[in-house]
Amino acid sequence: MMAEETWKDYRETKHGKPLPLKGIRVLEVCTLVLGPSGPGFLSRLGAEVIKCEMPPLGDTLRSMVPFGYFFREQSTSLIRPNPNKYWVALDLHGPEGQQLFRELAAEADIIEENQRPGVMERWNVGYRQIKEINPDIIYISKTGFGQWGQYAVENRPSNDGAAQGMSGYAWMSSFPGRQPLKNRLYICDSFGALMGEVAVLAALHYRDRTGKGQFIELSQSESIMRAMSWIWPYQHLTGRGAMPAGNRDVSICPADTFRCADDTFLALAAPSPEEFRGLCNAMGRGTLADDPRFRDHLTRLQEENATRILGIIADWVRTKMPQEVEALAEKHGFAASGLHSIKDVVEDKDFRERGFVTEVDDPLLGPFLDYEFPVMMSKTPPKVRWSIRPVGFDNEYVMTHHLGKSQDEIRRLYECGALGKWADVRGRRPPPDWDGKAGLIMARE
Amino acid sequence: MAEPTWADWARERDDPKYAQTRAEALDDITVLDLSYKSFAGCYCSSMLAEFGAEVLRVEPPEGDFIRTCTPYGILHKGEGLNYLTEGRNKFHITLELAKPEAREMLKSLAAQADVLIETYRPGTMDDWGIGYEALRAINPGLIFASITAHGQFGPLSRSRMPDYDNVIQARSGGHYDSGEIMPDGKDYDECPWAVPTKAGPWIGWIEAGTHMAVGILAALHWRELTGEGQALDVASAEAYASIEDWAALWYQGAGVVNERFGNLNTAGWLYCFAPTKDGAVFLGGLRLEMWQAFADMVGKWEEWGAATWKDLASFTPKEEQLKWAALVFAETRKYTNEELVGMSVEYAKKGRLAPITPVVAPVCSPEEAMHDANWLDRGIFVPFKDPVYGDLVVARAQYKMTETPIRTKWVCRPVGYDNEHIYLKYLSLGPRRLTELKEAGII
Repeated sequence: MMAEETWKDYRETKHGKPLPLKGIRVLEVCTLVLGPSGPGFLSRLGAEVIKCEMPPLGDTLRSMVPFGYFFREQSTSLIRPNPNKYWVALDLHGPEGQQLFRELAAEADIIEENQRPGVMERWNVGYRQIKEINPDIIYISKTGFGQWGQYAVENRPSNDGAAQGMSGYAWMSSFPGRQPLKNRLYICDSFGALMGEVAVLAALHYRDRTGKGQFIELSQSESIMRAMSWIWPYQHLTGRGAMPAGNRDVSICPADTFRCADDTFLALAAPSPEEFRGLCNAMGRGTLADDPRFRDHLTRLQEENATRILGIIADWVRTKMPQEVEALAEKHGFAASGLHSIKDVVEDKDFRERGFVTEVDDPLLGPFLDYEFPVMMSKTPPKVRWSIRPVGFDNEYVMTHHLGKSQDEIRRLYECGALGKWADVRGRRPPPDWDGKAGLIMARE
Repeated sequence: MAEPTWADWARERDDPKYAQTRAEALDDITVLDLSYKSFAGCYCSSMLAEFGAEVLRVEPPEGDFIRTCTPYGILHKGEGLNYLTEGRNKFHITLELAKPEAREMLKSLAAQADVLIETYRPGTMDDWGIGYEALRAINPGLIFASITAHGQFGPLSRSRMPDYDNVIQARSGGHYDSGEIMPDGKDYDECPWAVPTKAGPWIGWIEAGTHMAVGILAALHWRELTGEGQALDVASAEAYASIEDWAALWYQGAGVVNERFGNLNTAGWLYCFAPTKDGAVFLGGLRLEMWQAFADMVGKWEEWGAATWKDLASFTPKEEQLKWAALVFAETRKYTNEELVGMSVEYAKKGRLAPITPVVAPVCSPEEAMHDANWLDRGIFVPFKDPVYGDLVVARAQYKMTETPIRTKWVCRPVGYDNEHIYLKYLSLGPRRLTELKEAGII
């Protein structure tokens, strides 16, 4: 097969190949998930990202861990959005820290921030101020509600859960008659961040052509609303509010989650004519495929018919183990999968073979499994190379290498409080077995 | 004259109502979108079409099956409501790729394109002689983007299973551990809603498509530097799995498999949906002071001893969360959504810890969201008058940009609507030849 030729030894050879955003410099003033995830996508694609945190505590995400569990004394949550970054602890409240930031900004291609509207400007590092020293800068501000409009002016704070609530996303991800359910993924954060990078990279393409930078504002609620497809025209055209439907997909039939013989659950979809016929054959009820209620997809989607066919499938799956249905789906060409837990995902053989689940050998954290940016690129594969660092860990490297500061100047920057290091707190400081050297680029003695 | 406020300055430059007068970031790019039975591909090409890329949407003569994937089977002027939202700005042409002559036409289009998006089962494009290796021989700069259930290589790449949103969600972990907790002593028969619960919107498909859009744009940048095209491969479940934040590390480090935790958040307090008099609100207080501000806002500063709290870590364990959630919900039930949101806005002005205030946001139905004056003002739900489909509301203008804002030129097109224009423009095929191709079942 030709495709096999293209992808031969992809996982084994990717570390010797170049990265597509090599040479692009990104400066972030970001916390939690919506902010840092965007530069985290770019850093996997090879951009050089300097993450500026407020000393000595840094990113709030450093505290967020499942039921109090720290991974080698580091925040489990901090790892995913922050690979391959350089960590600088810079206090933007004072003039010296602001000046340092402007020196870094003068050399940057992209700035990303998720402070409340106007805060960066109050710190003298807003878009209006930075474009005076770097007119080509691409500058993105990411918040709950954007930079203007009622909620922005009221200075409302936001989180992923606020966006899930206000967009109607949670409402649509629930069972009818129940209180709306917050999806456990920080979807509005990570999806908002991803949408932000579509805009940033489109702006980079424009800059590649014209030399012009620009300002971009992104709202996490607006991003997720953009992804809610049929809901808006449905409400506009019918005058009715869209209703939640639990695990049933009301746009695809059959597509639902069913309970198996062992009380585990399985998702199944078989809407196209050949897939639906395959499912009917798998159930040993081939004639259903010719039933006038089910034959045609649009007819099958109608409430009464959909309820009927989903009931038939539910009764059938209730007698099967998930592996049995998966094997029949493979044989008959429809889609089915048991619900994978995080254990199943981390240990997924296919994900491992493809190198999506990849081992990172980190100087501070030791070896662990992380996820690659999930676009395999034949010439320029994205890569996670190193992981998170304590607050201010790379100060010396960035000051020396990027800004050419002398040892004396760096000492003065610490003295005036422009630069700082980690507080002696779990999630902020190095792992307990750190030898004082591992991972440091400069000044190891 | 005084310098305008930041909000006014930004709005003057990036309000979507000025978008039509600005430049387009991707108007030098031509994209072929061969998506089939995949909303991931459609969403991906929309991301590029919004920025002005010329997207040629290639469908079989009977149209893409995805057009029939519409809620309850409802059509508007013959069109499914999902496809109606992602045909935007794309030129729609038909081509029966099962026929050799059609593949030759596809090759001629690919010779003139920058990006090709396809979602056929791995091997299909190769079998047709229009896979990446064949097309790169014609156009070495081509970016060839494939989105499928299991990817182009790996043990499952030959799987016969198609790629649907709910199964993507099932394979990537996010379905398993979202959902309500089973009440003590109850079971699935009594509480059929206390089960793993998927996200309602097609987020599995859309995550796959959006990741691919980012990959394509990174590949375009690489091509600017080197002239080289390349092949890109997204396996949908990997894309949706990749956004998970902490459970994979918890499992590796402690062997714990994350389970459902309802409307609370396993990895942090204060972070939940809380019931109110007339619905529910989201509460967020991920810094100690914000959680203290919440306690103060509902009049529990003294009783709960908020002044003595040292850090949030002591509230994060499961038992603590359940205990405090009960106390918090007893307070939130006393107020309406509007009252609680107002209290938080006021607290930011006058509270003991002001300007610190907890995040309080109403949990809305999408009907409420669509009529929210804030979003209407920001241009995301402004009705659009489409030349074919009439007045419609689709979500749009989601980013605001000063130089190259996105725009909507049309929302959708019927099958083959642009055959005449596109085949004339790219292949110099006039009406006489098109009629022949149509009769031969090629377009």
